[in-house]
Amino acid sequence: MKGVCLLLLLASATALAADFTDEEARKIQSHGPWPAPWSPDPSNRVSGNKSAIDLGERLFFERRLSSNGQISCSRCHLPERNWSDGLPRAVGLAEVDRNAPSVVNVRYHHWFGWDGAHDSLWAQSINPILDPRELGMSTASVAKFVRSDRDLACRYRRTFGAAPGGDDEKILVDAAKALAAFQETLVSGRTAFDDFRDALAHGDRAAMARYPDAAQRGLKIFLGKGACDVCHAGPAFTNGEFHDTGIPFFVRPGEVDPGRYGGIKKLLGDRTNLLGPYNDDPKRSTATGTRHVSLEHRNFGEFKVPSLRNLESSMPYMHNGSLASLREVVKHYSEISPDRLHSDGEAILKALHLTDGETADLVAFLQTLSDRGGRYQRHPFPEDCL
Amino acid sequence: MRALLAALLVAAPAAAACELPGGAAQKIQSRKYLVLYRTSPAPLKVGQHFSVEFAVCPSPESVRIDAQMPEHKHGMNYRPTVTATGEGRYKAEGLMLHMAGKWELVFEVRAKDAVERVVQTIRLE
Repeated sequence: MKGVCLLLLLASATALAADFTDEEARKIQSHGPWPAPWSPDPSNRVSGNKSAIDLGERLFFERRLSSNGQISCSRCHLPERNWSDGLPRAVGLAEVDRNAPSVVNVRYHHWFGWDGAHDSLWAQSINPILDPRELGMSTASVAKFVRSDRDLACRYRRTFGAAPGGDDEKILVDAAKALAAFQETLVSGRTAFDDFRDALAHGDRAAMARYPDAAQRGLKIFLGKGACDVCHAGPAFTNGEFHDTGIPFFVRPGEVDPGRYGGIKKLLGDRTNLLGPYNDDPKRSTATGTRHVSLEHRNFGEFKVPSLRNLESSMPYMHNGSLASLREVVKHYSEISPDRLHSDGEAILKALHLTDGETADLVAFLQTLSDRGGRYQRHPFPEDCL
Repeated sequence: MRALLAALLVAAPAAAACELPGGAAQKIQSRKYLVLYRTSPAPLKVGQHFSVEFAVCPSPESVRIDAQMPEHKHGMNYRPTVTATGEGRYKAEGLMLHMAGKWELVFEVRAKDAVERVVQTIRLE
């Protein structure tokens, strides 16, 4: 009798709210391990370089890298807001048309920006510096600033092996490569989901049972009825590609955001893309996407699939910040009308018709994709470089 | 019986010539063509670029490669290039299957104004 009670107690201690099929278990495994393996970017000769990371961190918070000397990259990418800004649309020198995406985990991306107009993190980093609505600098003013500031010029020399010379564009690109080296260090921490995923891999039912019941049920919806993992795939919960999700793309009356369609056109006309002269990798080994990307009419109104990691602290959501909460995002997919999708778009989305309970469970699961602290602390800059 | 033997003898050299050196290959037989192929890397992963080495027998005038998700009514986001490497063999580069689910890998083989689509179904998790 005592033995039976013990067994019952053990069974109760390791009971799971949801049973997962073999197929579901394989899908769950595909969302890890975390952190995912990473290797430095071959297109950026200073990727992973300590001196470049230091220079990039300084530039990221450097207000003099704006035309009015008042704002920096951290205006829209605040560490305490998961490296976003909490606003529907980012505001630099003026308001832009899109939500500021978090720069956490950008080292795992292969397209950058909501429209993927850039194919490397360093090329993307040039964009806000020169955009008149963001930092509003010019190539010449960035070069002049780096050349004339003794400390920055010293760190540039330390990083790139030579003092900033007379080629303004090269200095701009190098500054962007240092910015990229810094941003590559921003990786979100482990989450309750990661613990569950690893426990499942090891068959540790006691550890699995510590994952909240609602999150387990929500995970089943994510993989099954919701089919969310079709696009939110892999360890970063994104396939890194572009889809039309039925979010209106009017930015002003009579003006639309073309999304990926405009992004591809911009990419192919950009001197700083991976097929251009600033790619440091002679083999162009990361340029496959740029070489083969195809501009199609259906790209109109497509936007990049965002990572779901740390999304709880990166509200509001979608490319234009039009949905304020996770519940609103889930409701959007639950009630989506195919009529709102682009006419020649993909036949992927259909209304999920989730019950209130299912909605709450899916939100509970999404909340477990956020890490538990270990927030960024800006490195002290002890030594001068003169 | 004699006629059957003759047909086998005629067919045998063509079958023997159809090979894809370099390791194990998948095989697709259509009405007219035999396609042998292998991907690199293998197995395929969602959102990862890959290339395809393949052989088509009998040797066609031209061949294109594509992939599509019939249930989603879309293809790839990338346009692959195909390079002939000689002796009816080819290398395609720039493919990516960007979503999990059922894909069709399509070899569009053309000879004498006739086009045949040789299709392999791939399930990607």
